[in-house]
Amino acid sequence: MEEVKNGEKLTLVTRKPCFGLPTACPTCLPVYIYLRFAQLPFDVEYNLIYPDSDQIPYVEFGSHVVYNNEKGGVIQSLKDEQTVDLDSDVSGIPEWVSTKAMVESWLAEAVMYELWVGSDGSSAQKIYYSDLPWPIGKCLYFKQIHMVKQLLGITKGNAERREEEIYRRATTAYNALSTRLGEQSFFFENRPTSLDAIFLGHALFTLHALPETSVLRSKLLDHANLVRYAENLKTEFVDADSSSSSVSPSQSDPSSSVPKRGPSNWKSNPKSKPKREKTEEEKKFKRRAKYFLVTQLVAVLVFISLLGGSNDAEVEFEDGDDGLDYE
Amino acid sequence: MEALFRRLSTERVPVRVHDVLIKGNAKTKDSLIEAEVEALKTATTVQELLQAAGIANARLQRLEIFDSVNITLDSGPPELPGTANVVVEVVEAKNPLSGDFGIFSKPEARSWSLEGSVKLKNLFGYGDLWDGSLAYGWDQTSEISAGLSLPRFKGLMTPLMARISLLSQDWSKFSSYKERALGFSLGLLSSRNHDLSYNLSWRTLSDPSQISSRTVRRQLGHGLLSTLKYTFKVDRRNSPLRPTQGYAFVSTSQLGGLVPDYRSLRFLRQEFDLRYAFPLGLLNAALNFGISSGVVFPWGNGFLNRPSYLPERFFLGGNSSPVCTLGGPTSILGFKSRGLGPAEPRRQVGENSTTESADASSEMDFLGGDFAVTGFADLSFDIPLKVFRDAGIHGHAFACTGSLTSLTENSYREFSLTKFKESFRHSAGFGIIVPTKLFRMEVNYCYILKKHEHDRGKTGVQFSFSSPL
Repeated sequence: MEEVKNGEKLTLVTRKPCFGLPTACPTCLPVYIYLRFAQLPFDVEYNLIYPDSDQIPYVEFGSHVVYNNEKGGVIQSLKDEQTVDLDSDVSGIPEWVSTKAMVESWLAEAVMYELWVGSDGSSAQKIYYSDLPWPIGKCLYFKQIHMVKQLLGITKGNAERREEEIYRRATTAYNALSTRLGEQSFFFENRPTSLDAIFLGHALFTLHALPETSVLRSKLLDHANLVRYAENLKTEFVDADSSSSSVSPSQSDPSSSVPKRGPSNWKSNPKSKPKREKTEEEKKFKRRAKYFLVTQLVAVLVFISLLGGSNDAEVEFEDGDDGLDYE
Repeated sequence: MEALFRRLSTERVPVRVHDVLIKGNAKTKDSLIEAEVEALKTATTVQELLQAAGIANARLQRLEIFDSVNITLDSGPPELPGTANVVVEVVEAKNPLSGDFGIFSKPEARSWSLEGSVKLKNLFGYGDLWDGSLAYGWDQTSEISAGLSLPRFKGLMTPLMARISLLSQDWSKFSSYKERALGFSLGLLSSRNHDLSYNLSWRTLSDPSQISSRTVRRQLGHGLLSTLKYTFKVDRRNSPLRPTQGYAFVSTSQLGGLVPDYRSLRFLRQEFDLRYAFPLGLLNAALNFGISSGVVFPWGNGFLNRPSYLPERFFLGGNSSPVCTLGGPTSILGFKSRGLGPAEPRRQVGENSTTESADASSEMDFLGGDFAVTGFADLSFDIPLKVFRDAGIHGHAFACTGSLTSLTENSYREFSLTKFKESFRHSAGFGIIVPTKLFRMEVNYCYILKKHEHDRGKTGVQFSFSSPL
């Protein structure tokens, strides 16, 4: 955290805010909430023109970047590099792990289905394509629908069965989560973990961004305690300071097991160094070889062009002797 | 006969063209050929007629759809003395299909490319040329495109051109991004001095290596480019490759964002290029001067805070000869392509810290600039050896200077004259130029007079190859 003290801030780059959410993308929202839970000061910037990128969201810190498509996602990378780790106490609890896996797979699948296939697509259009020129937005939208169908394994023949299955899993997950939560304010240990961030992101998205007719939304609304949980945390963490998205720095707070080590933790690719050492000599050799080849080539070229040139000259002389002017 | 020649060379012989007969065109429309030989009908003297026939012949040949063109002048009907009939005899190309194939090298980018094209000529008899081409460059540029050109469609005076293309360019080495453009372009007006074209393309910038710097990262994504480009060009130099006399001027204006959709890319881009050459009288020596400048700026809502679109920015550097390239600021000899100007550190990965200072410049992304100025002076002279002179090999000494600065995102506020002066890079040197039929080669010794910390410029011998147009 030294650099944070030096005034360098984290910057979270997400998709655009709408539906009253700080970012309306179901992948970005958990990361935003996670950083808010950690009470880290951070800036938010938006990328509006790259809906089909799997790099978004990403977190920047000086010249370091944590992309969503690397090392298990942004939250996992932030934890691995000890920058922001809210899970140190719970990651050993089997129930926590399985609950998280359930939210990340079954519920994520359900949201994906609702957003792209099960609804009229107006939410998706608004979140992802409203800032792109019309033809590009349309093309990318259809491409994405196709991809989602492939990902969820939906074909013409099995569409109904798949839908049933997805909703059944979602219902099971909601029931389990509702029971687990009871009347607590967090799922485990009475403090926020990445599970809370991911589920809160999911719940807020389902409640606010999906259309009123959504099946998933009505299923979630059946569980009053989950809805209450989502709305409470929304007022506490998400809406608290929505004008400037940075929370006041609170490094003194020991409860948030935030960064213990400096920015060196951000670097995590020890492969590159030995590789570079090896290439030093190779480079020298290569350079010499290149020079040799180039000189050879030049010599040949000069020879050819000189030979060709003098031939031309000879022809001209002959013409001159004949006293004729063909030009 | 001799009397006729003598008469033709001494006095104006009046004549009137009675008829123009066109023969041999099975598929080609009469109207196309008639339009090209229009000038023959207005000739009033034999001399004029001969001249017009020469021009018409050249024009017909240039359509690339005939194997041969023959224009014969015949006397008119006996009852009308002083008249002539013109017989235009064409032989249409037997095989409408032709192809090209080749491998090209670009040593400055250290890349090779494989290029091939297929042309289909005169399919509908309008002199229409259909072509499909494919260029594949190893880790640099690939393009696949198809085009149609009509030399004279219906009543239109100028040639019409349409082209669709899919272009992918790899700038990973210089600026860590890849560009893909799917586009459609239309040549609206094309004459000696004027050229107007429209381009609509969907551009995608991506960074698969995930090492780009912050500025590049912010620009990744999709964009719709809808631009109108106007070029005004005057070239009065005696040779485009080794000009010894004359001047040239090119101005290119580009207006981006010509669709009602406010979300397309909006920018203005202007380039000027001025060249002047004058002979010194000794050793066929000539002095060439050139100044070019360019500026790009976004427009639309909040344009002052927005950055300019990355691929439309100016990039300097590269080994291409500044004498031969006409059309905007590009090269400063001695610097690698995209090797100078505003730069930003790339994403930091791995444990490499300050120890790799030698490699520091390869850890930078060159971002280009919104305002570019370059200038050069070049003295070319014959080498006093007959063998060299006959082969066209000549020597030159040159000095180049250039500056690349950023204006957008409010940085124009910090723009000052001293800073601008500070931003100039200079290089000088001398070399030998070997022109051959296939390419033009330069071997130069460049000395960098001034460069900035991250610039990729090196004092030393450099080779550069360019195609002789």
